[in-house]
Order: sequence, then structure tokens, then C-alpha cells
Amino acid sequence: MFSRRDFMKQGLLPVFAGSAVPSIFANGVAAATADSPQATSNGRILVLVQLAGGNDGLNTLIPFQDGAYHDARPTLRQDSGVLTLNNQLGLHPNLKGLKASWDAGQLAIVQGVGYPSPNLSHFASMSIWETASVQGGIGDGWLGRYLNYLDKVGESPNHALEGVSAGSLVPPELRSKTPVTALQSLRTFRVQPVNEHGTQVDVENPLMKFYGSFKTAAPAPFGALLDTTLQEALQASHALQATDATYQAKATYPANSPIASSLKLVAETIVSGLGVRVAHVTLGGFDNHAREKPVHDKLLLDLDQALAAFTQDLAGHGYGDKVLVMTWSEFGRRVKENGSAGTDHGTAAPMFLLGAPVKGGLYGQQPSLADLDNGNLKFTTDFRSVYASVLQGYLNAPASELLGGNYEILPLLKA
Amino acid sequence: MDDAAPTSSPATSSTPIWRRPVSRRAVLATGAAGAGAAAVAVLWKGSDLAQILNRVRDLTHDYQGALSNPRVRAAHLLRRAGFGGTVQEIDRLAAMSTKDMAQSLLDYQQTSNATLDGQLPTLDLTSAKGPNAGAVQAWWLQRMVQTARPLEEKMTLFWHGLLTSGLDKAGPAQMFTQNQLFRKMALANFDDLLKAVSKDPAMMVYLDTETNRKGKPNENYARELMELFTTGIGHYTEDDVRESARAFTGWTLTGGKQLRYTTDSMFVARLHDSGQKTFMGKTGNFTGDDIVEMLVPLRATAERLSTRLFSFFAYQNPEPEIVRHLADTFQQSHYNVGAVVREIFNLDVFYSAKSYRALVKSPAELTAQTLRATGADARAFVAAANAMAPMGQVLFYPPNVAGWPAGTSWINSSTLLNRINFANAAARRTAASSPAQSVDQLTATLVDGNVTSNTRDGLHAFAGAHPDDRAGLLFMVMATPEFQLN
Repeated sequence: MFSRRDFMKQGLLPVFAGSAVPSIFANGVAAATADSPQATSNGRILVLVQLAGGNDGLNTLIPFQDGAYHDARPTLRQDSGVLTLNNQLGLHPNLKGLKASWDAGQLAIVQGVGYPSPNLSHFASMSIWETASVQGGIGDGWLGRYLNYLDKVGESPNHALEGVSAGSLVPPELRSKTPVTALQSLRTFRVQPVNEHGTQVDVENPLMKFYGSFKTAAPAPFGALLDTTLQEALQASHALQATDATYQAKATYPANSPIASSLKLVAETIVSGLGVRVAHVTLGGFDNHAREKPVHDKLLLDLDQALAAFTQDLAGHGYGDKVLVMTWSEFGRRVKENGSAGTDHGTAAPMFLLGAPVKGGLYGQQPSLADLDNGNLKFTTDFRSVYASVLQGYLNAPASELLGGNYEILPLLKA
Repeated sequence: MDDAAPTSSPATSSTPIWRRPVSRRAVLATGAAGAGAAAVAVLWKGSDLAQILNRVRDLTHDYQGALSNPRVRAAHLLRRAGFGGTVQEIDRLAAMSTKDMAQSLLDYQQTSNATLDGQLPTLDLTSAKGPNAGAVQAWWLQRMVQTARPLEEKMTLFWHGLLTSGLDKAGPAQMFTQNQLFRKMALANFDDLLKAVSKDPAMMVYLDTETNRKGKPNENYARELMELFTTGIGHYTEDDVRESARAFTGWTLTGGKQLRYTTDSMFVARLHDSGQKTFMGKTGNFTGDDIVEMLVPLRATAERLSTRLFSFFAYQNPEPEIVRHLADTFQQSHYNVGAVVREIFNLDVFYSAKSYRALVKSPAELTAQTLRATGADARAFVAAANAMAPMGQVLFYPPNVAGWPAGTSWINSSTLLNRINFANAAARRTAASSPAQSVDQLTATLVDGNVTSNTRDGLHAFAGAHPDDRAGLLFMVMATPEFQLN
């Protein structure tokens, strides 16, 4: 078991410490066996959906009966069509899929999530959420520490698709000592052979020799980084190519929607049985300081439709019980709209947890619109309490150790 | 190694800033700087520049290695100050002293770019919407590949990554206009550049100053100006954000086109909040320019910009002595960016083993250097600009206002495969027209002739097995780990 001190110490290690990870070439773990039943996590998968830029929580989970909401949002308020959850709160009119999940008892909403002394910088606050530390920093992400834990207790299949992210970057939540793969397309995830007059010449082996010899020749961290990354890439690419052809989506994903494409890619990777444990997708564009309404309405519509397709697809493949979706954003917006029909950076906002594993309902307490701090909501639930609840209640991992502190466990999840 | 340029630097020949005639603006700025300005004065008066420089030299004890070879030094400078050198460019610089090499790149105003200008496509800015995004991206990439003034393009890329705007909000013509501004002021005084950027249409749309009105302040630009463009976090309060947002009111877009296609801005007095603002302990009827003049002299700004420039050109996490020295140069040269860059290219550490191959090529650098090696036609620039997305960088489209994270984060399994596959496709595209080159010729130009023996053997084995495949061999050299670094 790791002590808190170990994590703090390791948190200071630069990213390239991952070069010590055993690769498929060393230990011969076959990716096809990666989905064998797991004692602790029981094959459960967490999918994080990052709403980047600061989602307007008040126009997502809407206190439609509160006069202060209407006063603070003369142009941005949702006057009609709110999808009521109770006599005080409702979902934005475009969240119809999430409302259906709510009705089916598969949506948990944690209200007023934030942390003490909120930081209104995008990047400082993102880093706080990503590391689950109010200092932020460049250490392992909170889910990266979960991947480290799986490795430590011998539950890691040790291949590069255990943590995946849709896009071209590995997100800081997944920074870890185990490999994490950024995916853009399963089809193109390979080293293309050299085409010499119609003859395919494979170059993987010479490249592996180039990178292997550079590992020791180059100054740290670059040699090790490049060598390890190429090995991980080839390992993941071989696993992906063995399964690529079999996936058929069991839902219709919206066209021209980057978040839908990202979630579809994650679904494909999950149902291909490649041993995914945590996945990350990003929907950006929430930093709406001006003319917020049309942009925010569209973002929530895209999010809702993509999530609906994703959950339907996974359920159709028999993965409904194994996948939990959780949304987060670095902060909410200022309660009072600014003069540009937008909102400036704020603080607390709701988090959504979606899927068969959740116990549907509202959790925590809706922040008061009458008791503000510099125009901002006072948070009522610490985000680390939500993390702890997921780590402990869903992933069966030691939350206190992984988060470096004890946080209240919310009964968000079925046993 | 010749001198590290303290004697030739404008920093030491110009009048110290505290002895210059004091303008109203300067009083305002110094007063506002408060504790920061006091600390600067102590540092300037109390420390010996030579002492600091000696300590910087002490950091270079591991100097030499590959960079003792003049051709490698020239190639290194051309990679850092530009997008890699051709054989001819490397040979020309290798014959010069370190100082003259830097000078030849820095004084680019004297270098004609007529050849490039004759080859660039004409972008139509007069139509309602202007050029499309792909055309502007290809245009810039072509500039990087074909320019006779590599440092001008490299600094433009630097500013694009620091003073960010993006196509997610601004239109292509606005991004083009901003890009030209960065090019024009690539080595200008930082306060002048920030004042211009504050009124730049792309920036005004991207960070919402175009909606920032008297009585309806919008904090977006004011916050990022401090957090990302000048002092960094920890040097201002939330009240400073709110108050300076008021100071930036009054600028608006003009020209009658739709917002994101408008490329002109103007000041409208009735939209400006002319009331008293209290910013960093100083109260006055401040404008946006006043705020810039208060932020730029702060030591935190000098150190932050110096760190960014050194990290962009030399290596990440520079030693405090280096930052201090560059920040002094910045402050003593009236915030002149060119003076800082000149200083960086003349520091011993820039040519030290610590600096050699100590940066990962960004996708822009990798793509431009690849196209310089393979040759490219107009279609190739469009294709290559698109191919940058899966490598993690789309020109004019930073992931957020902080720009690209850079450093080792350019490399993950997905981006590395895409970098390798791009080299393959680019080599294949132009192979027929390129002259045959040996393993030694290719490695000499592209990777300093400095690869591991395994790699050299592997390249020779490939060349031996596929003697007719010029494209394949060029690709293999560009797929080496050495080529991924700068």
C-alpha cells in the first residue's frame, strides 16, 4: 500500500518516470486477456467528461423558482421549457436525455460542488481538480494515482489502453506511472509501412532499434520518453488492430459533434475488450464571457445527445452495468450576468454522475443565491468528496490514500 | 566561446531606467508597481551584472560535446531561431563567429523576403468573410518553410503561443491580421506590443473586450492579461481584475462587417468608463494603456517573459541566475524583446550540452522542417497544415487561452505515431523530384550527423535493402528519435 507521503513524493516526479513501466515486449502480457475478471474493480470503468472553460451551473441545473435567479440573469435566464426535477430545480431544456436517465433512476446530481478559497483562474482551478489537491501542480492526476494503485495491487493488465483519452493530449487527471493512450482513431493508430513501388515495407522493427538505442544516448528525459512512448504506441496499436473490425455501434451518434465522436471512440475501445479502466473526453467552449446563451444551449444539446447515444451503445453491448460517466468543470460562472450577455468566472457548480451504477437523485445542497461571496456561490460539497465516493463506492479503491485525506462518502452509487 | 555579449548589449549602453527623464506615465507606472518596483531598484543598484554573468557561465561547465562542431552550432541555432537549416544555410553560418551568427538572424529587417512574397498566395481580405481558415493556415506554414527571415516567423509563433487568440471565436481574417501584427512587432518593446494587442480585433473577440462597456465590464481580457501575458498568478487580486476590466472599456470593432470578420477597431469615448479605478494600490482615471504601463515594468512580468523566451529558445526551467540576467536586460532596455532574444543567442548556455536537443519539436517546427527537407508545393502546405491536428497543434487554434502546453507533452503514443506517419507521407509526396542523397548527407543536414551507431547501421541497412527508395530513406531519417528533438 502507498502511504500519503509516497504519493506526495511521487507526485514530484516528472512525467517521464513512467519509463519504468514494463511493456508488452518485456512481459508478454497479451492484450486479449486484459478483460479477465478483476477482484477489486470488477472490470468497472469510469468515463470522465470534462466541460472545459467553466460550465454555467446555474443554467444547467436551474433554480427556476428562485426570484434571485431571474433577477441575476435578465437575458440569460431560462424562462420556459425547464425540465423539472422537483418544485425548485430543473434541467436545462436541452438536457432531455439526461432527464430520461433521471426518470430511470440513473442520474445522480451533486449540487454546489467546489472547494475552499476558490481560484478563478481556469488553469489553476483545472489543476486543482485534476490533481485533487488545492495546490494543483504537475504531479500525477487523481485518476493516474488510481491507475498506479491498480498496478501496485497487481490488477493492472499493464497495457497501454488501461487509461485512454480521446484527442491528441493525455489529460492531467490521467498522468501516472502507467501508460495512458491518447486516441483519435483506432484505424490510423499504427505506424504506416513504407510503400515501395506497391510493396509494403514494415519499419516497426528498425524504428524500435533506433528508439531503443537513443534511450541511453539522449539526455533525460527525452530518450526514455521517446523510447517508452514508441513501445506503448506499438503495443496499443497491435491490440487495436486485432479487434478493430468487430465493433458496430448500437446507437446512432449525432453527426458533426466532436463530443459524440470522442464518446463513440471510447465506446469502441471499451467494447473491443481492451481492458480500459478509465477514459477521458473533453467538451470545450464553456468560457462564455459574452453572448453566452446560443453557445451554451448548443453545448448542452451536443453533450446530452452524445451521452444518450453513448449510454445506449454501451448498454446494447452489455456494458451498461460496468460504466459510470461523471462530468466536471473547473468552475461555474458568476451569479449575475455581465453586461455582455455572458458570465464571468465563478465558483460552485453541479456535477452529474450517469449510468446504471448510480443511485439516482439529488445530493448535497443547492447553494443560496442570497448568500454570495463577491458575487459568487458558496460551495456546499467538496469535489474531493465526490471523487472519494467514486473511488470507494464504485472502484473499490482506498479513497483516503489516493486523495491524501478523508472526505465524506456520498451514497451516490449502488453497492 | 566568444563573449556572452554584456559589452555589446544595448542593456549596458543605454541609460538606466531610473535615470531617464520621468514622464507622467512612468510616474504612474512606478508608483503603481509598489513593492515590485522597489525590489527592482535594489537589484539593479545592488548587484554587479558581471557577477551574475559569471554565475551564468558557471552553469556551462558541461559545455562542448556535439556543439563544439561549428556546423552543429549553426544547425542548432537555425533550428531554434528558425525551422532548421539547409546545407547551404548551415555552411554559411558555420563560417561565422557565434555573435555574427546571431546577428545575421536578428537583423532580419535587412534581409529581403521578396522571393517568399512572390510565391505566397494572395489572400482576399476585402470580401465579406475574407479567406477561409485553411488558406490562412497554409499561408503561414508556407512562410515558415520559405522565409528568408526565420527568426521573424519563429517569434510570430512565439507570440501566437503566448498572446493567444483562436479560430474558435475569432475569424480567419482577424487571425491573419493579428499574425501580421505579431510579425511586424516580433522584436518590439513589450509595452508597445501589449498596447497594440489590446486593440487587436482577434484578441478583442477572443477575450471579449469588444463587449467590454462602461457600466458593463467584462473581466476576461483583464484577467488573462495579468495571469498569462504579464505577471502570472499571485501578483494581483480579484479586485485588480475587476478594476482593470473597467479601464479597458471603450474599444470596439468597426467596419460594418459581421463581428468575427471585422479587422478594424476604434476607441469610442462614450463607451469608456472614465471613472476612478483603483489598481494595484493606485487610483486614477486609468485607460487600458495605463494598465499595460503599470504591468510591464513589474519585475514579475520581466521574469515571466524572460522565462518564457528562454524556455522557447534554449531549454525549460532556466536557472534563477539566467532569468535574473534576462529580466535585467529586459528592464534596462525599456522592455525590448529583441534585446532579450539577442542576449539568449549569445549566452554560453545556449550552446551548452544542457541546451542541445533539449526541446521537443513542436508540430509546427516538425512540419516546417519536414517540408523544408522534402520540398513542397501549394497543395502540400494545405495538406500539412491539416496533418498538424493529430500531432496536437492546429495553427490559429490553441487549445485554450494558455496556448499549447509544449515541452514533453507534445509526445504521447498517438502524437508520436502521427509525427512518424506524417514524415512518411511527406517524403512519399515529393520523392520523385528530390535528388538522391546518401545516409551521411541526409543525417548531416537533418540530425547533425549525430545519431546512435544502431541507428546509423539501421539506416545503412535500409538503404542497402532498398537502393531505389529515396523517399523511404528520407522518411527513415525523419522518423529517428533525434529528429523529434530540436
